[in-house]
Amino acid sequence: MAVSSQPPSCPLVAARRHASRFWSRTPARPDKPGDVPVYRTDLYSEAAIRDPYRHYAAMRRLGPVVWLPKQHMYAFPRYAEVKSALRDDDTFRSNQGVALNPISRFIGNDSLLMTDGSAHDGLRKLMAHRLTPRALRPLHSQIEDLAEQTVQAALAKGRVDGVADMAVKLPLTVVPDLVGWPQRGREHLVEWAGATFDMLGPLNGLALRSAPNVAAMLGFVHRLARRRDVLPGSMSYEVVQGIEKGVIKESQLPSVFIDYLAPSVDTTASAIAAALYLFAENPDQWRLLQKDPAKISNAVNEIVRLESPVRAFGRRTERDTDVAGTRIPAGARVLVMFASANRDERVWADPDRFDVERDASGHVGFGYGMHGCAGQGLARLETEAFLRALLRRVDRIELDGAPERVVNNVIHRFEALPVRLVPKLEQSRPA
Amino acid sequence: MKIQIDRDRCEGHGICTERAPSIFTIDDEDELVDRFEEGDLPDDLVASARAAIDSCPVAALKEV
Repeated sequence: MAVSSQPPSCPLVAARRHASRFWSRTPARPDKPGDVPVYRTDLYSEAAIRDPYRHYAAMRRLGPVVWLPKQHMYAFPRYAEVKSALRDDDTFRSNQGVALNPISRFIGNDSLLMTDGSAHDGLRKLMAHRLTPRALRPLHSQIEDLAEQTVQAALAKGRVDGVADMAVKLPLTVVPDLVGWPQRGREHLVEWAGATFDMLGPLNGLALRSAPNVAAMLGFVHRLARRRDVLPGSMSYEVVQGIEKGVIKESQLPSVFIDYLAPSVDTTASAIAAALYLFAENPDQWRLLQKDPAKISNAVNEIVRLESPVRAFGRRTERDTDVAGTRIPAGARVLVMFASANRDERVWADPDRFDVERDASGHVGFGYGMHGCAGQGLARLETEAFLRALLRRVDRIELDGAPERVVNNVIHRFEALPVRLVPKLEQSRPA
Repeated sequence: MKIQIDRDRCEGHGICTERAPSIFTIDDEDELVDRFEEGDLPDDLVASARAAIDSCPVAALKEV
């Protein structure tokens, strides 16, 4: 193998070199466009990350397009503009657009997350057919068993951390095997995934803090790309074979490995922990679900709507465009605010209320369109199995202390969620 | 009204089969089937068809 085809041995050095070149040729940052309302609070400050929804509500009141001076970008806080931007992927580009900083845009340049058009479609096809409901069917019983074990173990303990003891268990067990990750490295997946998301934000303290873990993960995927010791028959195995078939280039391997793994642990764990929290805080909704378990699939939609795991991603405008009467020039950056759209009072009645009976299927918590979450079938499967196991065994869920939030540039989830599970009385069923 | 399915985009998530079960099913080959592919949709199904179009996670459905 020619040396030149090897991926760069130290991606961070290469990224920094690229970033400095990028900055030197970046034109002066655009001034605030005249007629666009401005929201001055830094959405990426720790305070706003911990308590984002009142900022989102204030931005939605300001208008359909809002200027964020701190990030020098436009933002779409309302549902209609979020959805139409996601639908119009020719105008709102992901390449050089998703991440809010040039280092991340460089590192992720070849990833599924950050490519458009035919480059994207080839990568997406490679992944998506493994994640259809039918392809996932063989996993059903394994996931049901895991959910059952997780709930039983939590019941045996009585008081648990809903994150460490429950929410991360399913994705951390299911995903690495499905993706085909070797055993080594698995213990770092949660911190690596979190760091990858932090790094997609602006270059603030959180992004800088994530650098060592991002570097460790990059080192790992580059090694994996060289050794190719992925599990036979897995998704990653198919990707490696894709090189021989000419579907993907060898240099894309590390990015694709990150695509497969980073988004599949934190996000699902976020939804599962949010489910525990929401049902603990809204026992009436838990009773409704107990009375009619057929509502589970809608309940999962409602959980993802209300506590959207991915708050927002960026896009770059490919051409001049007009959004709700505001002219946005080509080359502008736009923040597409999934979590705000999902609470837009123009679309959702009483949007901050958790209501498992409302029709929540139109939410954009998994994104939408060409870049819509490829793993949403799996995420639904895991979360629904978890809720089914809870319904079988648990009478009610109670908060057992103050929950703590993760402070992350992109991911909205609990760091710790002390809960107490109260078992159903009729537990003495025959073994 | 008719619905156009972008077969390249459809990944079989099946949300439309929940929103509009009398229009959409997913067959054994994992392919989306539109029962009214050959003709026009009956008027009483237009609302659920639009709901299905709107909820397709990959925007593979279009009203034509």
